[in-house]
Amino acid sequence: MMEAGMHMPPKRKPLRSGANTSTLDQRRQEGLIHNSEGPNASLGKIDHGVTENPYERRFSPYDFNGGTCVAIAGPDYAVIAADTRLSSGYEILSRNMSKLHPLSGKCILGSAGCKTDVDQLRSVLDIKMKMYLHNHRKTMSTPAVAQMLGNTLYYKRFFPYYAFNVFGGIDEEGKGAVYSYDAIGSFERTPVTATGSGQAYIIPLLDNVIAHRNRLDEKRDLPKEEVVEIVKDAFLSCGERDIYTGDQVEISVITKDGIETSFFALKRD
Amino acid sequence: MPSQRSPPPLEFAHGTTTLSFAFQGGIIAAVDSRASLGSFVGSKTTQKVLPVSSHILGTMAGGAADCQHWIRALKKEALLHELTEDGRRMSVARASRILANHLYALRGYDLSVGTMIMGYDDHGINSKDDHDTRSSTPYIYYADNTGLRIQGDIFAVGSGSTFALGILDTEENRYNLSVDEAVALGIKAIRHATFRDAYSGGYINVFLITPKDGWRKVYTEDIARNPEIWKALQTEINENS
Repeated sequence: MMEAGMHMPPKRKPLRSGANTSTLDQRRQEGLIHNSEGPNASLGKIDHGVTENPYERRFSPYDFNGGTCVAIAGPDYAVIAADTRLSSGYEILSRNMSKLHPLSGKCILGSAGCKTDVDQLRSVLDIKMKMYLHNHRKTMSTPAVAQMLGNTLYYKRFFPYYAFNVFGGIDEEGKGAVYSYDAIGSFERTPVTATGSGQAYIIPLLDNVIAHRNRLDEKRDLPKEEVVEIVKDAFLSCGERDIYTGDQVEISVITKDGIETSFFALKRD
Repeated sequence: MPSQRSPPPLEFAHGTTTLSFAFQGGIIAAVDSRASLGSFVGSKTTQKVLPVSSHILGTMAGGAADCQHWIRALKKEALLHELTEDGRRMSVARASRILANHLYALRGYDLSVGTMIMGYDDHGINSKDDHDTRSSTPYIYYADNTGLRIQGDIFAVGSGSTFALGILDTEENRYNLSVDEAVALGIKAIRHATFRDAYSGGYINVFLITPKDGWRKVYTEDIARNPEIWKALQTEINENS
């Protein structure tokens, strides 16, 4: 499982005792020489593991572009929502980048993580959906797409798609179906799920309010309008505490009649 | 002065608790349902018992995706076997061998799988019974990502396995238990393991396999909603409100 790492420069370790720290540094401190002079001139501020303790620099094929996705299944609907912020490091690259991608008229894939892997995964799934349609003369059912997504992710078990997915839609009986995944394709049908950078903030809230856990009052069926309001509240809270979540929420409600999408503004800080 | 060897690195063994044992009335498989993403609980409702055929179950411990994928691949091969071998079911030995061979081939690729393949065979395979009676010898095989495959009567796999075995091993009369008592033993062992092991929790699921009827789920309990504790909590809240 990939961890979202902050790319910070390695800490400078103190020089080993006994090293000559006197003349050059004293002169540097007095402002007599700059880094552009002296034995380390060509290095400037970058130490290549020569004078101080060695460390490893390595190219990482992954970048973490942030974001949170949520999906909730109802008796005859599924709600899937994601923020629209695209970040890299401390920068915001876009405030309006959609994380939701309809795979058929009845199901939507929401993915956070590394945008390039997400885009590639979507391409691959779209092609597979089209091939199924051509071969079987019908659109893939939602549970079948869920299994296909799991298999597609495991196919790259040894160089994974850095994509944190939620998948929601209407199953063959007309009920809402939501599936949660890990990065390499293990999946499970659940009533409620969230993934991405804000996962740890949203899931406990949804566990209590939607899945009705750890509550003593009577559980009642929630209409989809109320679920949408709860999702907005959840993203408001998540946006307050997670730097990668914010700007806008894109909320899609899937019913047997189709997909309705709406947008909700969040704080842009 | 002898030089100090540093202790071997801490191996983190599959955050879960799964166990199985054979007794006179069948085979019990009991599991928890927690899937951890580091220290975050990724899922409280993971299905860790995966059916391979009508009479064979596999359990999941280790990497969820690895176990799900390879046991599903095994399920496919078992079904194909039935369809091509004139309805004869694949034996437990063969199923576990197929899985273990896949895992051995992928040694060194950092898979994480610790599974138990258990069940009963079709009549006439590996048994001294005559062809009309169904084989009644229970088989439990443990297979893991190193390619190890061993047969036994009782196994527990996962980070909570030691706690579960403590409960299972102190039951001296294990083979002669009735079905209800055996189920209760499985529940007790998992409950104790979830109590002591931080990486186990969620639901307790217990399955029973019999030679006649195959597998079925016999018990499921949300540990958070343990009936006695829940009732006590509710009365306390009602009294105080």
